[in-house]
Amino acid sequence: MNALLPYTLTGVGLFCLGLHALLTHPHLLRKILAVNVMGSGVFLILVALAKRSDSPVPDPVPQALVITGIVVAVAATALALNLLLGLAASSGKAELAEDLDE
Amino acid sequence: METLTELQWIFDVLTGCGLLWLAWSCLSSRNLHRAVVQFVSFGLLMSLAWVRLEAPDIALAEAAIGAGLTGALLMASLARLPLSGSADIRALKSAERIAGARLLQLLRNSLLFAFALFIIYAIFFLPPEFSGLREEVATEIENAGVRNPVTAVLLNFRGYDTFLELLVLLGALFGVRIVGMQPVRTSMTSEPVLNILASLLTPILILVAAYLLWIGTDGAGGAFQAGAVLGAGGVLLLLAGWRPARALMASPFRSLVLLGPLAFVFVAVLPLLSGRALLQYPPDSAGTLIVLLEIAATLSIGLTLCALFLNVSADDGEQP
Amino acid sequence: MQMAPMILTLPWGVALIVMPVVGALACYLFRRAAKPLGLMTVTVTALSAAGLALRTTRADSYHHAVGGWGAPLGIELYADGLSVLMLVATAIVACAISFYAARFFDDKEQARFWPLWLLLLTAMNALFLSRDLFNMYVALELTGLAAVALTALTGSQDALSGAIRYLLATMLGSLAYLLGVVFIYHGYGTLDLAMLGQLVESNPVTWLALGLVSAGLALKTALFPLHFWLPPAHASATPPVSAALSALVVKTAFYVLLRFWLEIFPSEGAAPAQLFGLLGCAAVFWGGVQALRARRLKLLIAYSTVMQIGYLFIAFPLGILLAWHGALYLLLSHALAKAAMFLAAGNVLYYGGHDRIADLDHVAQRLPLTVAAFALAGVSIMGLPPSGGFVAKWLLIQASLDTGQWWWTVPILAGSLVAAAYVFKVVGFAFTQAEAPQEAKLVPVSMQWTALVLAVAAIALGLIAPWTLTWLDVGDPFSGAVSR
Repeated sequence: MNALLPYTLTGVGLFCLGLHALLTHPHLLRKILAVNVMGSGVFLILVALAKRSDSPVPDPVPQALVITGIVVAVAATALALNLLLGLAASSGKAELAEDLDE
Repeated sequence: METLTELQWIFDVLTGCGLLWLAWSCLSSRNLHRAVVQFVSFGLLMSLAWVRLEAPDIALAEAAIGAGLTGALLMASLARLPLSGSADIRALKSAERIAGARLLQLLRNSLLFAFALFIIYAIFFLPPEFSGLREEVATEIENAGVRNPVTAVLLNFRGYDTFLELLVLLGALFGVRIVGMQPVRTSMTSEPVLNILASLLTPILILVAAYLLWIGTDGAGGAFQAGAVLGAGGVLLLLAGWRPARALMASPFRSLVLLGPLAFVFVAVLPLLSGRALLQYPPDSAGTLIVLLEIAATLSIGLTLCALFLNVSADDGEQP
Repeated sequence: MQMAPMILTLPWGVALIVMPVVGALACYLFRRAAKPLGLMTVTVTALSAAGLALRTTRADSYHHAVGGWGAPLGIELYADGLSVLMLVATAIVACAISFYAARFFDDKEQARFWPLWLLLLTAMNALFLSRDLFNMYVALELTGLAAVALTALTGSQDALSGAIRYLLATMLGSLAYLLGVVFIYHGYGTLDLAMLGQLVESNPVTWLALGLVSAGLALKTALFPLHFWLPPAHASATPPVSAALSALVVKTAFYVLLRFWLEIFPSEGAAPAQLFGLLGCAAVFWGGVQALRARRLKLLIAYSTVMQIGYLFIAFPLGILLAWHGALYLLLSHALAKAAMFLAAGNVLYYGGHDRIADLDHVAQRLPLTVAAFALAGVSIMGLPPSGGFVAKWLLIQASLDTGQWWWTVPILAGSLVAAAYVFKVVGFAFTQAEAPQEAKLVPVSMQWTALVLAVAAIALGLIAPWTLTWLDVGDPFSGAVSR
């Protein structure tokens, strides 16, 4: 339990902070930021927990998974931003309409 | 050395607190510009955390992709959004005055808090001695063709995941649309400092990308980090006002962008013809194949990230 | 015959993933030839699905260790009866949607549609062939991203709004799933589902992991009350895309959840199962009511999807083989019938330019094939014999009586009544005349026929039930859940 605990707890905190922000703020850019923060939290937990055993060689699989996750996150963010810009251009607002008519 | 370990521990706690504070500040900031800047700082502090967790490959990737390119995408989008963003914080405050909404909020916050506590509780039940898949990797690493175990996992043992991941990037590229008719500021091109910086840095960034790619087989680095740095070079050029010639934008761009996935498909299917499994490299040429795949992937990733940025920042049908 | 053994050994599973990818890349590179390339790719992929199906009926389940590394170090492709049926259903629906889309879109939209559509097909095939937890995460992300991009294809404000809500919901679901996988990896040291099934024990780590995975996948499969993103997305997308979303994409998350459940959950007890059953009932009720209230055809069909997904979750508290057969049969027939319904709605939209139910102007006379398609699909959705939907509900009712939990028959039967109500509402309006006559655009024949063929297939599924059910059991996918 060396570098394990602070970063694991940070990861948990980031996930929950991000989730709270995602559910609370209506502005879409903030929601995108929130999802990214949540992702960072998950990645932190994944790698930090791998340091439970005091081996000199770190476990490479979690690290590879996190790199994959980072790339997937940037792809999704780019698409989300593009959709957001499109929505803002046609509706003038950067928030989702709450009512579903009919 | 007790003091050194204690100092390290204090450093880790401070970094963790810093991350939490930056995240909270970013997500609740009134001003969206400030929020994005804090997000970039958050990404850079994360890189530091990755270094402390002995994950230099992730640190490079986070700095280049998580903080750098994501930050660039966010800022470019922000420049084209209609409102400044403080409006929603004000609306939030007025909604909070309704009693029912406050109760709901309290409920939600307490549920989240309980959830966080449960996660922490569960962590204490994890088996204390844990080696994960480290031993399996260590056993097979000589047959993998590279010495960096993370690269071995990404490009050999779990290369199929990397292939799908390249497709995810491609999917984002396929999916982005030409957006709106907002005028983009062309005064950017007359910034002398930016022009000089771009002309100086771009060749350096290309060299750095090549270096990261090459060193990735033995040490920290690899295709994703190199591709991200290459993409960053492209973004810098775009910010300085450079636009590629029209002729370059169609088929040549498309062919290069597809190079990574196509290389993967080729290398994956070839072993099938000689009776082996999908993506099974012959052990002697595994190293060479991995380097070739990484070169193709780097080009694809760099171009895709560049194109995604161009799409978010430009305004007239420049999407290939 | 010498040919037969050779056909069996061809790597069909690999082809199912590689073919659509190559097609997607080709369609992106050669924009002008996207339509013929796309149609060719889908046909070849469907043939690969048939090849794999043939192989699994003769031999046993299909294994392929990618890279030559077996689990847990590497990733293994795996197909048993359940995977193969999902793959075959996907292939059939994908073919129909492809031929429909080839006539529905104009040239500019064709160039954008095909690369994304083929990428979506790759992702779904990769998912159904996967047994590695992280591999499933990446495949789910690719599925979600491609689906979102397709939802936003038309660029209308409704489509963009539906798409971004869908994207955020799917990203949240994926992150919850990933966090669950994190704890599974750290608790058990493997990412292979089959190995996990043997290692798993009951402790807080497992509960947390499975809770997170279930919550994430429930969000992605639009189980009540996490269904909020589905109606706007499916209703505002263009009809061929809506067909793909409702028929196939929502089922991918359910498939993963089912796999988790069959391998791991049986040791966890009855409480989560009952919760799933209750939420399923709520979904049936809520989806049905909203479908009745809907004034637009595509929104009605989207809420019908919410309702039908609820039925799938009623199988969880029942837990016996019969129940799983029923749920899977419902999944398959719903895929065919729902796709048929959306394609039929697409024809109505193409014809009159709108999909307001109250203003369906003599559609029955002008587009008889389309109305027939909608009605036949409705037969399966309602659960009338001899359709696939009927077989499914019959199996579920039988299962609830066998296990003594007779109360689950109530939502199943009530749901059928509500479904009958909204299907007849639509068909009824199709025979009436609208207040103001509208301009009619001629609907291409291929579009009318694809909808009808899918609807007929949904009915035919009921007739071939005995064979399909034996096929489903190849490789014993349900053995884990039944041995309780």
